[in-house]
Amino acid sequence: MASTSPATNGDAAPANYDLVLKLAPHLDRHMIFPLLEFNAGRLKEDETDKAREILAAKYALLKKTNMTDYVANLYCELEGLKEPPAEYAERRQKVFHQLEKYEQETAKITELLQRDDVVNNLRSDKVANLEFLKKEHDVTIDMVNALYDFGQLQYSCGNYADASELLYRFRVLSTDNDKVSYATWGRLACEILSMSWESAMEELQKVRESIDTRLANNPLAQLQHRTQLVHWALFPLFNYDKAREPLLDLFFNAGFINTIQANSPWILRYLTVAVITNRGRAKNAGVQQKQMKDIVRIVKQEAYEYQDPVTRFVHALCIDFDFEEAQHQLVLAEEVLRSDFFLLAHADDFVDSARHLIFESYCKIHARISLKDLSARLGLNNDDAEKWIVNLIRDTRLDAKIDYKEGTVVMNHPPSSVYQQVIERTKGGFFRTQVLTAAVAR
Amino acid sequence: MSRFFRGGDDSSTDSSSEEEEVYTSEEEEEKVQAEDESSSEEESDEEESDEESSSDEEEGAKKKGASRFLQSDDEESEEEEDEQSDDEATTKVKSAKDKRFDELESTISQIQNGQKINDWSLIATEFDKLNRQVVKLQDGSKAPKSYIKAIADLEDYMNETLAKQKVTPKKMNATNARGLNAVKQRIRKNNKDYQTQIDAYRKDSDAFMESDDEVAAPKVVSKVRFEAPVVSAEQQEEDDKGFSTVDSRGKVVQYTPESILKHLRAIIESRGKKNTDRLEQIKVMETLNKVVPITPYQKIRVLQTLISARFDLGAGGAAQMPLDQWKAAERDLASLLEILEKEKDHVVVEGAEEWDDDDHLPTIPEGEKYLKVPGSVVSLIERLDDELTRSLQAIDPHTSEYIDRLTDEGSLYNIIFRGLLYYEHLRKDASLEVPQESLNRIIQRRLDHVYYKPAQVVKILEENAWKQVSAEADSEITPRSQSGDAGKLINILSNYLFENSEGIIRARAMLCQIYFLALHDEYYKSRDLMLTSHLQETIANFDIATQILYNRTLVQVGLCAFRKGLVYDAQNTLQEICGSGRQKELLAQGVMIQRYSQVTPEQERLEKQRQLPFHMHINLELLECVYLTCSMLLEIPLLAQTGSSPDVKKRIISKTYRRMLEYHERQIFTGPPENTRDHVMQASKALAAGEWKKATDFIHSIKIWDLMPNTEDIKTMLAKQIQEEGLRTYLFTYAPFYDTLAIATLSSMFELDSRKVSAVVSKMISHEELAAALDQVTETVIFRKGVELSRLQSLALTLSDKASSLIETNERTLEQKTQGSANAFSRKDNRGGGQRGGGQRGGRGGARTGGNPQRQAGGTQFTGGALGNAVRG
Repeated sequence: MASTSPATNGDAAPANYDLVLKLAPHLDRHMIFPLLEFNAGRLKEDETDKAREILAAKYALLKKTNMTDYVANLYCELEGLKEPPAEYAERRQKVFHQLEKYEQETAKITELLQRDDVVNNLRSDKVANLEFLKKEHDVTIDMVNALYDFGQLQYSCGNYADASELLYRFRVLSTDNDKVSYATWGRLACEILSMSWESAMEELQKVRESIDTRLANNPLAQLQHRTQLVHWALFPLFNYDKAREPLLDLFFNAGFINTIQANSPWILRYLTVAVITNRGRAKNAGVQQKQMKDIVRIVKQEAYEYQDPVTRFVHALCIDFDFEEAQHQLVLAEEVLRSDFFLLAHADDFVDSARHLIFESYCKIHARISLKDLSARLGLNNDDAEKWIVNLIRDTRLDAKIDYKEGTVVMNHPPSSVYQQVIERTKGGFFRTQVLTAAVAR
Repeated sequence: MSRFFRGGDDSSTDSSSEEEEVYTSEEEEEKVQAEDESSSEEESDEEESDEESSSDEEEGAKKKGASRFLQSDDEESEEEEDEQSDDEATTKVKSAKDKRFDELESTISQIQNGQKINDWSLIATEFDKLNRQVVKLQDGSKAPKSYIKAIADLEDYMNETLAKQKVTPKKMNATNARGLNAVKQRIRKNNKDYQTQIDAYRKDSDAFMESDDEVAAPKVVSKVRFEAPVVSAEQQEEDDKGFSTVDSRGKVVQYTPESILKHLRAIIESRGKKNTDRLEQIKVMETLNKVVPITPYQKIRVLQTLISARFDLGAGGAAQMPLDQWKAAERDLASLLEILEKEKDHVVVEGAEEWDDDDHLPTIPEGEKYLKVPGSVVSLIERLDDELTRSLQAIDPHTSEYIDRLTDEGSLYNIIFRGLLYYEHLRKDASLEVPQESLNRIIQRRLDHVYYKPAQVVKILEENAWKQVSAEADSEITPRSQSGDAGKLINILSNYLFENSEGIIRARAMLCQIYFLALHDEYYKSRDLMLTSHLQETIANFDIATQILYNRTLVQVGLCAFRKGLVYDAQNTLQEICGSGRQKELLAQGVMIQRYSQVTPEQERLEKQRQLPFHMHINLELLECVYLTCSMLLEIPLLAQTGSSPDVKKRIISKTYRRMLEYHERQIFTGPPENTRDHVMQASKALAAGEWKKATDFIHSIKIWDLMPNTEDIKTMLAKQIQEEGLRTYLFTYAPFYDTLAIATLSSMFELDSRKVSAVVSKMISHEELAAALDQVTETVIFRKGVELSRLQSLALTLSDKASSLIETNERTLEQKTQGSANAFSRKDNRGGGQRGGGQRGGRGGARTGGNPQRQAGGTQFTGGALGNAVRG
C-alpha cells in the first residue's frame, strides 16, 4: 500500500524538520495526498520550481490510482497541455467499465443485504450466514469476494464512502481471515479519508486487535503493521479530540512505544506535542503525569537517533533544566508546528501548554522570581504576565504570592514532612498483605 | 647408520628401547622386510630388533602398564624360535605365551564344536574372539599355524553350509542365520590377509602344519615382495640424507605414479599408531609430492595426507606444531587450494566415498560432473588456524619471535579467504550437497580473524587476500567491491551467519559484530544490537569460548561508552567484569591462581587452552583505569550525598572501588602516586575535598590514557566531568553549613558557566537531592532549614522502608513458589520482557548475567530459540 516517497524537499529552516519524506513510506498514497497539498499550499508565489516539483510528486503519487480525471488534469498542468492525452480517456473508459462490471456482480448481494428479511436472519456465525445465503439466495463465495474487489476499486477511484460500505458488507460475510484483515485496513483508510473519525476509531481498534492476536508469532510483521497503524493513527489523533486519549493510551502501550522507538522515532514529535497539549485536558492527572514522564524518558533515550525542536524543548526543560535553551527551542518548535500538516492547528495550544510547563518547573526550583524577568521569558508584557501568573496560581493552586512592591513572585515550598513520608511508604502495606494471605490460602 | 641421526630428533620417545623405536615408522613394511633374504646381514639384524619393537608396540597398545614389558619379553622369546635369538629368554615368559596359545587352541576347539552341532552363533562369537587373540600372537604377517588351519577349515565348512542351505528347504533359525552371515562377511575379509598361508595350507595341510619357520618364511615372501619397494625407497631416502652412500641393496627409486597411492595407503594405515615416526612419513610424502603426482587426484590425495600428517606432529599434549611444519602445512594447503581451483572437476567433499585406488586410478564416473575426493578442506583450515593460535599462546608475547609468528596470520587469512571462495564455488552446484555448515564454519573463522582489528588493518588483510586470487574471481557473499570497507565486511559476514546458522555460531557472529562496532566508536549501534540480541539472558547456556567472547564484547562496549563520555553507562557495563576482580579469567587473558579452590591439572590445562593470544588482549590496565575513573565520578558525589543525609539508603555502586578507597584512606603516609590505581585514589580524595583542579591533574597524569585514540579529547571530557561532579560533591558536602550561596561564587569556584551551574543546581533540586531553591532576583541558592531529621525520625523512615521491602520479598517468594500463576501482584512495572525488543534499552544498558566460565563449565547446550527474540520489536 505504501508508495515510493515522493520528491518533496524543504524550503526554509522549519522545513529541515519536514517529516513528509519519513512519513510517506508508511502511509497510503491517498493519505499522502493531503500532505502534499498542504506543502503546496504553504509555498510562496515566487517558488515556482518547488511548486512544480510538488506537482510532479502528486502526479507520480496518483498515477497508479484510478482517479483518472484528476490525474489527467495534473498531467496537463505538469506538461502545460490543454487537452489530456487519449490514453487517459481510454483508462477512464476502462475504469468505468470495470466499475460497471463489479456493480453487476455485486448487485445481487447488495440488494440482498438491504432486504430486512435477509438481514434479520443473519447471525453472528459467519459460516452459518454464508450457508444460509447460499441455500436461500444462491450467493456464492465469489460474489462475496467481488464485494472486496469492488471496494478496492472504489477506493482507488476516490469514492471512499462507497468503498467503506462495500468493505463493511464484505467483512460481514467473508470467512477468509486474511482478506478480512485487509478489508479492515481498507475500511480504516476509507474512514480516515472521508474524515468520519468515530468509525475510524472503531476500525483502528479492530486493526490493533488483529495485530496483537493474529501476528503474535510473527514479530517482524507485527512491527511493520504497528508502524503503519501508528502513522495512520496520526490523522484521528490531531483531528478528532475525543480520539486523543484512547490513542495516547495506544501509543504508550508497550508494544507500540517500542515500535516507535525502534522503527519510527520521528513519531516522537507528534507524541510529544499530543502529550503536552493534553495537559489539563485529561481527566486523570495521574495518567497525564505518567505520560509526561514516559515521554521525557523516551526523548532522552532516543536523543541520539532523533532530534527536532520539539524533542529538544523537552530535553532542555526536563532533563537539562536549561530554561533559556528551552525558551529558545520553544520558538523554533512553534515554527515547526506551523509548517506541519498534522500539528498546524495545535501550534497555539502547544505553545500555551509549553509555557505552563516551563513555568511549573521554574516555580518548583525557584524561591523568588522577578516578575519582569518572567514576563520577558514568557514573551508577554508586564501586566499581561501578572494576569497570567495570577490565573495560573489560581488554576494550579500553586503556593505562591506576588510581592508587588518588589516586583517578584515568591514561592513557598514546604518541605515534605517526615511523618507524611512514613505514612506514604506504609500506605499499601495492609492491603498488600491481605492479598498475600488470600493468595496463600488459595 | 643414519638411524642414529634420526634417533636424535626423536628424543621425546619415552620407551626404554629407544633405539628400536627409531624404525617404528616403517613397522608395516619392516615386518615384511625381516624375511627379505636379499638384505644384508647387518640390515636384517636391525630389522629384527625393529620387528620386536613393532610387535612390542602392538602389545603395548593393547595392554597398558607393566604387562607391556612382560609381553615384550614374550614376543622376543617367541621369536627366539624362528629367528636369531636374543639372550633374554626366560621360563616365565614362555608360560605366558603358552597360555595364549592354549587359549587360542581352546577357542579353535570351540569353533570345531560349533561346526559339529551347526551352531553358527557360537561360531560367530568364537571367531571374533579368535581374531582378537590372534592379533596378539601374530609375528610379522604370519599367523600361528593352528589359526590358519582353523580359519581355512572354517571357511570350507562355511561354504559347505551355504551350499547346503541352498538345497535344503529347511530354514535355519534366526540366530543361527545371523551368526552365519556375520561369519561369512568377516571371514572373507579376514582370510584375504592370510591368503598365502591359507593357500599353502590348502595345498598340503600336513606339510604346512609340520613345516617349521624357515620353510614358512619364503612362502610369505611372495606377498612381501609387493610391498618391498616402499621400504627400500625409504631406506634409500634415509641414506641419501644421512650419508649419501649407495644403498646396500642397490635399489633404484621406486616412486612411480602407480605406486603413490599404495604408499599413501601404507602411511594412512600407520597413522595414529604409537611410535610411528611422523617426520619420516612426512619426508616420504614430500618426496612423493615432489617426484610424482601426475593426475590431480593423486596430487590432492598426497597433499591431504601430507597436511594431516603434519598436523599430527602437533597432536597430543601441550606441544605445539613446529614452526617449519606449520609453514609447510600452510604452503601445502595453499597448493591444495590452487589445485582445486584449477581442476574444477575434482572436488573435495565430506562424506564422499573412498575410492578403491590400489590398482587403478579413479576416473570421473559416468554421468557425473565431478570426481569426489573424500576429505574436508574446512577442517584442515580450522586446524591450521588452531595451531597458529596454540603456538601464539606458547610464545612469550614480548619477544620479536611473537611478532614474527604473528605475520603468519596474514597468510593464514589468505588461506581462509581462498577456502571461502572454494566453498562458495562448491555451494553453487546443488548436486554436491555441500552442507551449509562448512561454509558457516569458514566464514566464522574469517570473522574471528577480523572482528577485533581496527578497520585499517582489516583493509590491508583484505587487500592482500584479494591480491592472491585471480582477478576475475569474486565472492558472492563478500563481493570484491565491498572489501575496502571493514565495517561493511563485518556486517556482511555476521549477517550472513545470522541468517544461515543457528546456535553458537549465530551468537558469536552477533558478538563479533557488536565488538567491531564498539571498537569503532559506534556506541549506540553496538548497544542496541547487544540489547536486541537478548544474549545477556541466554549467555550462561553457551560454551565457555562464547562466554569469553561475550565478556570481551561487553568490556569493549563499556570502553566505547567511556570514550563517548557516557560515564554512567560505561561504569554500568564494566561493573560485571571489572567489579568481580577476576578480569583476567573472565577475559581469558591469563590464568588466575586460585588459592582456595582445588583445580585439577585437567582443568588447568583447559584453562590454558582457552587463553587468547596476546595480540587479541584488551589492555587490562587501561580497563581498570577506565573503570576506576568512572566509579570515582559516580561514587564520590554519592558518598558526599549519603554522608550528609542519613536517611538515604546506603547505595554502593562499585564495591571494588569502595574497598580500594578505604584501603587508601587507612594508609598513614601517602606518597606520590605511582600506578594507575594510586592516581585515581588520590584524585578521588581531592575531588571529595572539592579540589577539582587537583583531581583533574591526577587523572590527567595517568599515562595509560595515551593508549586511547584521541587522548586529548578524552582528557577534556574527563576534566569537564570532574568539574561538574566536583560541584555536586561540593554542594552535597557543604550545604548544611550555608544559608545561601551565590551562583556567581560557585561559578568562579568551579570555573563553570553560571548558566551551567544553575542548570546543575536545578537538576539537583528537581530530583530532590538538594533541599534548596533558587532565588532569581539575587542569583543565589537558598538552602532550606529544618530538613535534617532527628534520630527518631530517620529511624521511623528506615522502619517503614524495611516494612515495605518485607512485603515485597514475601510477594516475590510466593510468586516464585507458585510459578507466577498467582499473578495477583503482577504490577505494571514488571511487564513480561517477551516482546519488548527495544523496551529494555532503558538507561542501564540492560541486565546482565555473568559470563562466568568457571561456574558454567557444565552447561554447554544452547537452547535454540534464544535469539529468536532478536528480531522482535
